[in-house]
Amino acid sequence: MKESPWPRIGWRNLGRNRKRTVLTALGLGVGYFACVFVVGWSEGIMAELVENATSLVTGQIEIHDAEYRPDRSLYDTIGGREGADVAALLNAIDADEAVVAAAPRVYAGGLVSSGEATSAGMFLGVDPEREVALTRFLDSLVAGALPVAGRYELVIGEEMGRQLSVGVGDELVLVGSGADGSMANDLYTVAGIYRTGLVEFDASTVVMPIGDLQELVVLGPDRIHEIAVATAQPDLAADAARRLSGVLEAPARPIVVASWAELNPVLAEYVALAESFYWIIIVIVFTVAAFGIANTMLMATFERRREFAVMLALGSTPRAVMGIVVSEALAIGAVSLAGSAAVTFPLMVWLYNAPPSLEWLYGNVTLQGALLTPTLRVGYNVPAWTWASVGLLVTALLSALYPAARAARIPPADTLSGL
Amino acid sequence: MFGLRTFVVFPAVVFAVAALAPAPAPAQTDPLEIIDRVDRMLRGDSSHGTMTMEVVTENWDRSMTMEVWSLGTDYSLVRVQAPRREAGTATLKAEDDIWNYLPKVDRSIKIPASMMGGSWMGSHFTNDDLVKESRLIEDYDVEISFEGDADGVAVWDFILTPKPEAPVVWGSIEYRIRQGDYMPLWTKFYDEDGELARTMEHGEFTEMDGRLLPAVMDMYPADKPGERTTMRYDEIEFDIDVDPSFFSLRNLQGGRGRRR
Repeated sequence: MKESPWPRIGWRNLGRNRKRTVLTALGLGVGYFACVFVVGWSEGIMAELVENATSLVTGQIEIHDAEYRPDRSLYDTIGGREGADVAALLNAIDADEAVVAAAPRVYAGGLVSSGEATSAGMFLGVDPEREVALTRFLDSLVAGALPVAGRYELVIGEEMGRQLSVGVGDELVLVGSGADGSMANDLYTVAGIYRTGLVEFDASTVVMPIGDLQELVVLGPDRIHEIAVATAQPDLAADAARRLSGVLEAPARPIVVASWAELNPVLAEYVALAESFYWIIIVIVFTVAAFGIANTMLMATFERRREFAVMLALGSTPRAVMGIVVSEALAIGAVSLAGSAAVTFPLMVWLYNAPPSLEWLYGNVTLQGALLTPTLRVGYNVPAWTWASVGLLVTALLSALYPAARAARIPPADTLSGL
Repeated sequence: MFGLRTFVVFPAVVFAVAALAPAPAPAQTDPLEIIDRVDRMLRGDSSHGTMTMEVVTENWDRSMTMEVWSLGTDYSLVRVQAPRREAGTATLKAEDDIWNYLPKVDRSIKIPASMMGGSWMGSHFTNDDLVKESRLIEDYDVEISFEGDADGVAVWDFILTPKPEAPVVWGSIEYRIRQGDYMPLWTKFYDEDGELARTMEHGEFTEMDGRLLPAVMDMYPADKPGERTTMRYDEIEFDIDVDPSFFSLRNLQGGRGRRR
C-alpha cells in the first residue's frame, strides 16, 4: 500500500504559522504536565499517608496464626499450643529482599490500675530493640526510657498517664487472665511514656518487654501472637506478603501473612478512591484543552478556506482535506507530547528522588497527631500517565474532527469567487 | 334468740361470697410476686457459706473454693480459699460497685464500668451478673409466658423484656420456676438479636439450713459448646448477724474476714 501523503503535509503545515503551533502545542503540553504532576503528587501524598499509618504502630505486614483474627484470642498463638521457633521465623522473614525489620509481639487484655483509678487496657509485649527498628511510636518517648526486660518495667501512652495520673517511676498493677485460667496480676513500674497521637491507642495500650508479658499471662517464650514486618515501601508489602507466605514453614497450624491493605481495608479503599479521582482529573483537563484546540483549528481552517477550495477545485477529495487537517492536529499532539514529556518526566524523577521540603510554606503539619513533614513528594503511576498521553492524542484528534469536516465541505466555486 | 330467718340467711351469704371469689389457682399468679418469693427463699436476708466453683473451658479446667457472705441484694463478699496460689483473692460487691482484692500485689481494684461485662474470676459469669442479678425486676417487664405441665412438672415460664431505657445487657430472659416448691429450674439469656447467649440451669435441690435450695448452678455459654461454670453450695447458713459495715474495703483485704 502506498504511504499516505497527508501526515507529511500535516507535519509541514505546522511550520506555516509557528506562533500558533507553539501556542496550541503549549495548551496541550501544559494540560499534560498538569495531569502527570497532579497524579504523581497525589500518589506521593497517598504513599505518605499509608507510610504514616503503617509505620507508626502496625508495620506493613502482620503474620498471625490463621485463627487469630478477628477474635484475637490469647490462645491462638503462632503454631498453636506448641508455639513456634520464633528465632527461625524471624530469620526467614529478615532474609526477604523487601523486608527492613521484623518483630515478635504478644497481646493480652485486662485492667490497668493505679491507686483509685482503673481502666481497661491492652498489653502489648514487644522486643524493644526490634520494635524500634520496625515502628516509630517508641522512637522518641515523651518521658523516661524504654522498659528493660526482667525489671517489671513498662511504658504507657500519654493519655493513659493523664487518665490514671501516673508518670515515670510510678507503680501500676496489671490484671488479666492467664492462659492457664489463673488470675494474672503483678506490679510494674512506669519506665517511660510514649505518644502516637492516636488517642484511643494512647489511652489503652501498655507496652512491655515480651518476656515479661509472657510470664504475666503464663505463655511460654515460644508462644507469640504476631510478627510485624516493615517493608522499605508500603507498595512492596503485597508482594512481600505473598513471598513470605510461601517461605514460612507452617509449624502445626497454618500461618496467615497479611499486608496492610488486607489489615486496613478502609485505608486501601481510600487509596483506591484517589486512584479513581485521577481519571476525573485527566478528563477535566483535556476537555478544557479540547475546546481551546478546536477553536484554534477552526480559525486556522477558516483562514485557509481558499487553499482548501483550490485543492478541492483541482480534484482533491473532501476526505483528503479532512486528512490534512486531522494529520496537522495529530502532529501538534505529537510535538506537544514529546516536548512536555521531555520536561515533565525528568522533573518527576527529580521530585521522586529528592522531594523538596515545603516547610517554608506550611510549617510542620500534624494530622491526627502524627507529624507530617510537608514535602513535594511524588509517586510514580505509570498506567495513569500512559492514559494521560493517550488522552492528549485523543483530544488533539477529536478537537480537529469538526474543523476538518467544515474544511471538507467548503464550496470551491463560491469560495474562490470571493463569496 | 336466733330465729329461723337467721338460719336461712347465713348459708345464703356464705354461698354468695363463695360464688364471688375467683377461681382458686390463678389467684396467685402475679409474676412479680412469684419471682420475689423465689428470690427471698434463695437469698434470705443475709447468708454465709462456702461454695465450689468449677470452670471448664476449651483451654483449661479449674476449681476454686470460696467463702461467701451476703446481706440483702446490695452487699456480698467472696473470698477464695483454694487453690493456695489464689487464696485471699476476694471480690466485694457494695451496691453498684465491684472491687477485687489481689493478695499477690496487695491492692484492691475497682472494676471500671467498661469492664463490667468482663469475666468474673475467669468464670462464665460476668461482673455485671453480680450487680444486675438483684435488679432484674427493676430493669425488666415480667410476664408469664406459660403456665402448666412441662415434662410432667407443673411450671411457670416467665419472659423478661427490658423496660425502655433500662441499662441492660440482654435482649430478653426466659425463666422457669417449678410450681410445687417454687424452685427455679433454668434461666435462658438472649441477646438483642434474639439469639440464645447462655443458659443457667439449677439442680440438686437439697435442704440446707432449713431451706430447700438448688445446690448446684451451671452456666453454659451458647457460643462455646463444651464450656461451663458450675457453682455448688457446700454449706450455707441464712439470716446471720452481719451489717453493712462488714462489707468494707478493709474487710475485703483483711483475710481475717469473720462473721462478727
